[in-house]
Amino acid sequence: MGAIPKPPKGHFNVLYFASASSFTSKEYDVLPAPLPIGKLFDALEERHSDIKEKILSSCLVTVNLDYVDVPNRDSEDASSESGVVIREGDEVAIIPPVSSG
Amino acid sequence: MDPTLTEISEEGCFVALTYEHLRVQDIMDRVRSPQAGAIVLFAGTTRDSFAGKPVKELQYSAYAPLALKTMLSLCKDVVARHGLKGIAMIHRLGTVPIGEESILIAVSAPHRQAAWRAGEEALEDCKRHVEVWKREEFEGEGGVWRANRDGIPGQKITGNGEAH
Repeated sequence: MGAIPKPPKGHFNVLYFASASSFTSKEYDVLPAPLPIGKLFDALEERHSDIKEKILSSCLVTVNLDYVDVPNRDSEDASSESGVVIREGDEVAIIPPVSSG
Repeated sequence: MDPTLTEISEEGCFVALTYEHLRVQDIMDRVRSPQAGAIVLFAGTTRDSFAGKPVKELQYSAYAPLALKTMLSLCKDVVARHGLKGIAMIHRLGTVPIGEESILIAVSAPHRQAAWRAGEEALEDCKRHVEVWKREEFEGEGGVWRANRDGIPGQKITGNGEAH
């Protein structure tokens, strides 16, 4: 992957790898901050139809290289304010099932 | 963490990602120790088929800073569990032609039994956790992103390396 530019003020980057990158045809998206982690998948679904079911359902999420829990990922109630809030300048990444070796 | 970082060396652990050919001698020399009675080396090579379908080549990509962080964390755990003198783990990225090494792991220990076991555990931990992805390019059709645990998400790894 090439160098990803720093996000503009008031935004954060979401990085895509492997199947997530193939699905979106992108290496990253830029989203407005702040955003509760529970709203992340809906924000991505708005940009990439079906990404929740086809990709995100089997993915993990990191914020600044730490894995975070995504609340309500399987429920319709995505309005939850619980969990991490993604801040301006954070590096969020969608982590598909790994296949090293 | 420096986003261009491609290797970390810390507390008897060496981990790295590279687009170059892997060199067995280099990785062995990383773990050499006068207190070691054994070095075990694992070389993973790219196979020419998946479920009977011919594979042309493999492409590896990584979330480099996170992959290195995870490699270092699991290597430290393996060192502690088996009393190793050293461990080195290097993964190749980009296009890897069939039959070439995609990963090398070397471990050194005072005695061979610990080295054998540690080498196997290090590889299994790597395949389960390290944020590297393999795409198999098939003859005459597109490619497939492989999952080591097909249909199952990768597992989280905590500070002490325990999956949960």
